[in-house]
Amino acid sequence: MNLLRAILLLIIFISPIKANTIFNIIKIPNLEIYEINTKNKLKYFYAAAPFRLGVQKNIACSNPSKKDLEIKYKTIYKNLSRYSYNYLKMINLKYIVMCENLSISELYTAGIPDNIMKTLILDIKFDENYFERVIHHEVFHIMYLQHKKIFNDEEWIKLNNSNFKYAKCSTCTKNIGLEKYYKTEGFFTEYSKSTASEDMAEVYSHMIYLEKNEIEQIRKLPFR
Amino acid sequence: MIKEIKASKFEKITLIFLILLGIITFGTYLIIKDKCLFVKNFDPNNINFIKPNNITILNAPCGNVIIELYPTISPNGVKRFVTLIKSNAYEDIAFHRVIKNKLVQAGDLEFGKKGSLNYRKIGTGKSGLGSIKSEIDNDFNYTKGSVGLARTFKNDTEDSQFFIILQDEPLFEGEYTPIGKVLYGLEILKKIKHQRNSEYILRPDFINSFKMLK
Repeated sequence: MNLLRAILLLIIFISPIKANTIFNIIKIPNLEIYEINTKNKLKYFYAAAPFRLGVQKNIACSNPSKKDLEIKYKTIYKNLSRYSYNYLKMINLKYIVMCENLSISELYTAGIPDNIMKTLILDIKFDENYFERVIHHEVFHIMYLQHKKIFNDEEWIKLNNSNFKYAKCSTCTKNIGLEKYYKTEGFFTEYSKSTASEDMAEVYSHMIYLEKNEIEQIRKLPFR
Repeated sequence: MIKEIKASKFEKITLIFLILLGIITFGTYLIIKDKCLFVKNFDPNNINFIKPNNITILNAPCGNVIIELYPTISPNGVKRFVTLIKSNAYEDIAFHRVIKNKLVQAGDLEFGKKGSLNYRKIGTGKSGLGSIKSEIDNDFNYTKGSVGLARTFKNDTEDSQFFIILQDEPLFEGEYTPIGKVLYGLEILKKIKHQRNSEYILRPDFINSFKMLK
């Protein structure tokens, strides 16, 4: 054991310090700059190597290929360019991390919002059919977390049929489909039924993503 | 009777070689020991400044670092900085965090004072004036020589600690309150003591003096 400690100490003492500005700012290792000169001042990073995060290192993501990055960056950039600098500042979003096979505790997820670190991690390999809309879904989560006092879950729940109950958490249900219901009946997708905040995020993302005429059609549908 | 022995040509050459070797060794030692030997020092009195009221001079071990402050960009940050400069609070304060060719950080008035350094707590000290709000909304390019106020993990925790960057850091924009830029003497900052394997410095260099030009 002592020998191991001695070796570790030796390694520490002979290893030159490498200052990593990105890590110092957002506390995610192995990132490199993809694009930082954007109109709304969003800074885009990508995983140059796999990384793990969290106290229990339960958040994991891998490095994507250059080709995938090139394609998906354009999509992400296009969607996030819809938000102005002031809007992003208000919701506290500044850094976008692009990686693939993002998971929390071995459960794959499209994105992880962190309003404290002003960061949104996006899985660029997430289901192509929903990828663009999901970007806005995650933006909503940042906004929700940043302005939690404004969003009243209880009031939102009251909008539902009194017999309806959300699941206990977003990962506590197997019903996580993201396909838009033909007849919404108060919910855009199966995933909307997981929790109030996910329901809100689904509503928000559809409002941002859908065409105006689609929104108008939905408005005409009977209330829940 | 002792017979006089003439030195051979080879012996003479050897002697000259040894003398030269001694001179070179001694000279090299002096050069290596004096880290400030080839660093140009700037005298602010010989320079004309457009805004002399915003000029401040930090005297480090190798000479003067002349900084222009930007009160229009960060009025509260600059105000705090000037208050501390005028009260000589930064004198004998350690450059406690130095990353070679990247940044130097100083200004821990509580735990970074010469003679009473607290290695365990250095970098966490306060000025006693309270923290001030971050001023990060204005456009500012964090290019080499930019001076900013350090903060904790959270915004609005700026106090007395400041940093000067030795390379461009575009990601600092919108993160740290900018207060000025080094006009002369960046090379002097590069000579501040750093350690190869740690950001925090054992037996650090200190600020000799920090004064406003006017």
